[in-house]
Amino acid sequence: MTQQAACTIKLPVFEGPFDLLYHLVKKAEIDIWSVSIAAITEQYLAYLKSMQELNLDIASEFLVMAATLLRLKSKMLLPRPPRHGEEEEEDDEALFQINSPEELFERLEEYRRFKEAAGYLGRLAEEQQKIYLRSTGKKLVVIPKKEVQQSYYTYWEGAQLLGEIMNRIEAAAAARSLPPVIELLEDLPVNERSAYICRLLEQRGPVLPFNAFLKRKGIWELLVTLVSLLELARLRKVILLQERHFGPILVRLAKENDHGTRTVQGAN
Amino acid sequence: MERAQCKALIEAILFLKEEPVKAEQLAKFLESSPDEVRTLVKELQEELASQQRGLRIFEIAGGYQMGSAPELAPYIEKALGEKESDSLSPAALETLAIIAYKQPLTRVEIEAVRGVRCEHVLDQLLKRKLICVCGRKEGPGRPLLYKTTPDFLKFFGLKSLEELPPLEQ
Repeated sequence: MTQQAACTIKLPVFEGPFDLLYHLVKKAEIDIWSVSIAAITEQYLAYLKSMQELNLDIASEFLVMAATLLRLKSKMLLPRPPRHGEEEEEDDEALFQINSPEELFERLEEYRRFKEAAGYLGRLAEEQQKIYLRSTGKKLVVIPKKEVQQSYYTYWEGAQLLGEIMNRIEAAAAARSLPPVIELLEDLPVNERSAYICRLLEQRGPVLPFNAFLKRKGIWELLVTLVSLLELARLRKVILLQERHFGPILVRLAKENDHGTRTVQGAN
Repeated sequence: MERAQCKALIEAILFLKEEPVKAEQLAKFLESSPDEVRTLVKELQEELASQQRGLRIFEIAGGYQMGSAPELAPYIEKALGEKESDSLSPAALETLAIIAYKQPLTRVEIEAVRGVRCEHVLDQLLKRKLICVCGRKEGPGRPLLYKTTPDFLKFFGLKSLEELPPLEQ
């Protein structure tokens, strides 16, 4: 293990067979168009061999290219008499439909052009890396006026927007000097309301419908009453009853013998 | 609005906006013409550069955006940490170059140039929103067509695709 690590040779990483071929051509310092297929094939295979020796994974594309090169070489060594019918062999491998050295060189040329373009892009990105663009990390939320554009919020942008809306609600609540929602819930006068419910049940009981505890019509009172009743039911001080589906909710004080029975049938 | 005030407003808007702002948009705010805006921005750019100020106005993806002066990069890096946008792999750059010059095109067409399969690279580029699917090619299998996005221009600091140099012959 250590021995192997000690003699690691750093091989350039090639993006694909064209990349490797291009490298070989460049190393030989010859014009792409005057490369001999035999020479380049030899070098290519030698490179694959060294990759094998280093136990590198060789992507199948490299092997396909090796086969392609060998076929080109053999074609040149043994010029075949033109066959009848199908002159060009069918090639299933769409990656390299290369049947002549000229085609190979054309493809290499094309690859070279884009590789250079990629280099240019890389330099641009590097330059751009030096520029820090204005960013607070927190997006200004701009609510579009009437002309709503086609929305293409992503999931996360949507979530972000929702968070922003929540912030705005809180800000609006604060501006009107209302405590935020969470605090409102903590301030529910549940104890007072519970005492009132029990008193009312003792006075007017034994069973009262839910609305008997509501004096005014207001969401606030409804909320407090509901929470108080649930709390009383949890403490087993009252029993909540419903005689039929969707029927009125009835409330009665719990008796000693109610303990342990979760459902109590019959309102009286 | 006075000329000086217009210039100040452009400066303020570009300072606050985190996306490139088009000259046409700025013209709407200023009730002036895009050409006038371009002149004013040019003046602003020159002022920022000649006074060696820390901010610059860049022309990106068809609009203007403010950013720090490139020469300050090493110091800003110390102050704010490295930019989060990690650089692209050579494979991603190659693929992007092919798409940028030949768009719209299919995966197989990209692979034909590179000589390697590209599904993985394409996925990464799609996730980073540097490219997007822009339709399907007519023909057998109706393969997806890819093109570059405005984020691509932003990433490389390009005004438009026309700014790319012609492919070397």
